[in-house]
Amino acid sequence: MKKLFVAFVFLLIPTMFYAQSAFTKFEDKADITSVIVNKKMFQLMGEMKMDPKDKEAQQYLNMVKKLDNLKVFTTTNTKNANEMKATVDSYLKANPLEELMRINKDGQNIKIFIKSGASSSQVKELLMFMDGTGKANTVLMSLTGNFDLNDISVLTDKMSLPGGPELKKAAAKKQ
Amino acid sequence: MKRTIALLALTASLFTSCNSEPTLQRYFVDKAEDKNFLAVDISPTFIKTDKLQLTPQEQMALKSLKNVNIIAFKANDKNAGAYEKELTNVKKILKDDSYEELIKFNRGTMGASINTKGESQNIEELILFANDKTNGFGVVRVTGENMTPNNVMTIVGLLQKANLDMEQLKPLKAMIERK
Repeated sequence: MKKLFVAFVFLLIPTMFYAQSAFTKFEDKADITSVIVNKKMFQLMGEMKMDPKDKEAQQYLNMVKKLDNLKVFTTTNTKNANEMKATVDSYLKANPLEELMRINKDGQNIKIFIKSGASSSQVKELLMFMDGTGKANTVLMSLTGNFDLNDISVLTDKMSLPGGPELKKAAAKKQ
Repeated sequence: MKRTIALLALTASLFTSCNSEPTLQRYFVDKAEDKNFLAVDISPTFIKTDKLQLTPQEQMALKSLKNVNIIAFKANDKNAGAYEKELTNVKKILKDDSYEELIKFNRGTMGASINTKGESQNIEELILFANDKTNGFGVVRVTGENMTPNNVMTIVGLLQKANLDMEQLKPLKAMIERK
């Protein structure tokens, strides 16, 4: 019987791995606004032809090709905000990221974490958590890929990501 | 021992059941008859190009387009239960029927997503899915061959400058007007 149990657990393991990343559970909740962009989308966007003379567009295309995944979750609901916070905490415990910056602004507590790649400005993962503490929006943003921190400003401008100015500051500080 | 076999059979059936999952194509066929749904099929001739001088690029883009199928669920006071059920169904099919999710958006009782099927940038199927509790939901299935992102963009451009055959869109128009 014990063997059977073990066998069953092994059967379940693959489904657990398929069971996506730490933040997937926030994707289909009614009180959470979510935006998910996957690697394939970035790849396809990168294939689009744009005017070669338009430097900004070209920079944007190059940037986009380096991205894997973008997830943004926003909520004003306190219960969801707490759950997000707890998830971020446990995620950071399991995947240690370097804290890049911590900002307190208008009742929002903003923390930015990164996982560096080969060089110091090379980023593999960027995690931003803006704690609205029940008053303002609570925002969780996760961006993975293999990009340069300096590219971020292009992205925040073009895609109007949350925390744009803070991310720019963080990128400047890193240099 | 008997129990082991039974358990194994059960797990085996769990795994094989994945293959008999309904496909989106099947779903379109099934729901075409459903009174809550409205189904529209549009062929590429919908874009009237006879008066236009097409560039080679535009011709290629048009050729890559095969068919557009649309089904829409019309929400009203009485079918809220059916709405939830069908919405779950569509989401499940999109997940199971090996579509790749490109982008997804969710806010409250509204949502939208774009999914594709195909190798790298050669898209065979493009699925646009949008839902909103008060209005219902719609699934647009675009099938084609070699629909690259550039081809898709070219077609969008063509839609803007070509005459459209409104006859093919009549059922949709009727639905919007009934509201």
